Amino acid sequence: MRLVLKRLAAVPVVLLVLSTMVFAAIRLLPGSPATGLAAGGASGTATAADITANTEKINAALGLDKPLLSQYWSFLSDIVHLDLGSSFYGGNDITGLLGDTLPATIELTVAAMLIAVLIGMLTGILAALRRGTWIDTATRTIGTVSFSLPWFALGVLSIVVFGVWLRWLPVIGRLPNALDYHPLTNFVLLDAILQDRPELIWPWLEHLILPATTLALSMAGFITRIVRASVLEVLGDDFVRTARMKGLSPAAILRRHVLRNSSLPIVTVLGLQFGSLLGGSVITETVFSYPGVGNLLVNGILQRDYPIVQGAALAIALLFTLVNVFVDLLYLALDPRLRKA
Amino acid sequence: MSETLLEIRGLTVEFDVPAGRLPAVAGVDLSLRRGEILALVGESGSGKSALSMSLVGLNRGPRAHIGGEVLFGGRDLVAADEKELRGVRGRDIAVVFQDALAALNPTQRVGDQVAEMIRTHRKVPKRQARERAVELLGEVGIGNPAQAARAYPHQLSGGMRQRVMIAIGLANDPAVLIADEPTTALDVTIQSQVLRLLKRLQADHGTAIVLITHDLGVVAEVADRVAVMYAGRIIESGTRDEVLFHPQHPYTMGLLSSVPRVDGPAVARLPAIAGSPLTGVARPKGCAFAPRCAFAHAACGDAIPQLQQRYGGQAHLDRCVLERSRETLAVTP
Repeated sequence: MRLVLKRLAAVPVVLLVLSTMVFAAIRLLPGSPATGLAAGGASGTATAADITANTEKINAALGLDKPLLSQYWSFLSDIVHLDLGSSFYGGNDITGLLGDTLPATIELTVAAMLIAVLIGMLTGILAALRRGTWIDTATRTIGTVSFSLPWFALGVLSIVVFGVWLRWLPVIGRLPNALDYHPLTNFVLLDAILQDRPELIWPWLEHLILPATTLALSMAGFITRIVRASVLEVLGDDFVRTARMKGLSPAAILRRHVLRNSSLPIVTVLGLQFGSLLGGSVITETVFSYPGVGNLLVNGILQRDYPIVQGAALAIALLFTLVNVFVDLLYLALDPRLRKA
Repeated sequence: MSETLLEIRGLTVEFDVPAGRLPAVAGVDLSLRRGEILALVGESGSGKSALSMSLVGLNRGPRAHIGGEVLFGGRDLVAADEKELRGVRGRDIAVVFQDALAALNPTQRVGDQVAEMIRTHRKVPKRQARERAVELLGEVGIGNPAQAARAYPHQLSGGMRQRVMIAIGLANDPAVLIADEPTTALDVTIQSQVLRLLKRLQADHGTAIVLITHDLGVVAEVADRVAVMYAGRIIESGTRDEVLFHPQHPYTMGLLSSVPRVDGPAVARLPAIAGSPLTGVARPKGCAFAPRCAFAHAACGDAIPQLQQRYGGQAHLDRCVLERSRETLAVTP
């Protein structure tokens, strides 16, 4: 329990450090929000003098003319008051934007995680049980290849194959535009249940399959390797021999003795891999025009929309930290030896 | 006492190792009688564990080659397939392993580990199996067995864990219990408690026990018969008193003289057997112990001596060619 409390106590510190880094990093990028806005968008009719004048006006309006330290201070105090500011473009409230996009990203990453765990566990166990055979070699080779494939390549490939050639699945967005959807929680599955609208589920799944699988495949290859290694290790443990001595069948030994004991390293890796999954979701969301936090973040960076970048990065960091606290809780559930103290 | 329960004939166990084929057990004939405690004595690598694990096929695997026969209840367990063996394991023949902490599942409550043994072979409801598990834990001398049943292995002491292991072994009242160095990992006081427990259970249930040990003190305390192993073969066997008090084979003599004795002369250093046991793939043509034997002569290298009755009692066998009389060669322990 103490372990979990410790991790929870560290969350604000992590978020403070991270928000400081994001605050600094975005301002180190060449260009500023004002230059983009001052040029008058795409019309390009503004003169140099106009631009300079506009820039000053805009900087003043956005508070970007103040010293960096005072900008930093007001950014921090706003966060403490749970105010993430509003977008430089259009003035949308960031908290509201995150409320719309974060559920989409959670859906995507959780779906990807489930697919990856399913594939990774099955192939990893299979490879371990058939160690040294061609099945083992084939599984590991495919695993290595899939986890070496970059997300964007896999994403574009799947769009071309399943969306363009085969026309099996939609490749853009989260739900069809024509669909009449009034979000309540913004989690489609949850809303479908709460609003009693089962017809929402299929279009949602249809849109989720490709991006989630794209995201899942590289992680699945990694999980395969970890699962294989830890199952092999546990298979060599003395208590597995005890289970055989009892007269248990191989299936019962696997189910009751091997899996639980090999799950610890697997769960650790899953928690850490969730971070790279979130990173991958930024790319995947962009490729599939999926309205998640990653997409929001990329647009924010391109437009130098500081509050959006800061808010989106914070949201992703918070998600990652919470997942790892959950992983710690899972440890305690899985291994009674850790429950002391 | 004399009814043969399990008979081992020409048992060989070989393992594929990088250097070739390691003969862990090189032809063993041995019988176990109903209700007796048979001690299998030898140094590490002498083949005693390989022998006992192959009785229930626990060392089967792609790198193991097991030959010979293990006759039990009218069938040959060496030839039996895995499915048939699963019916024997844990029900007719159970094993108590050495390091109970490693041999118990760290993530399962010990009561459930005992109950699992019961439910593997008998169709009883979970609750009933759990209740029986608590009874068994009480029977092996665990105070407050109901509480212990809910504990995880790491929450128990070493002695308690070994008792749990024994409770698992006894759960289905097997005819044979193989105890593989059951006291090695324990304190001396706990050791003798566990030994007395085994002895009592053997008396109460009539379970035959194969006790694997390298500790001659343990043998003296509980064994009915003794078989001494060296380099994969039995080199001497007989009743406990015959082997311990009238050893015939120079190796047994050496083992016995290296045990400290309360009533013996005070010595600065206990005698040790020179050299180290054979562990490699290559084996000599003659007696495997000859290179270390103080009495070895040219004839010892000719052929492997037969295990036969020589100078001792009727059932006291040894595997040595040395001509001698007990008067001239008495290296009494």
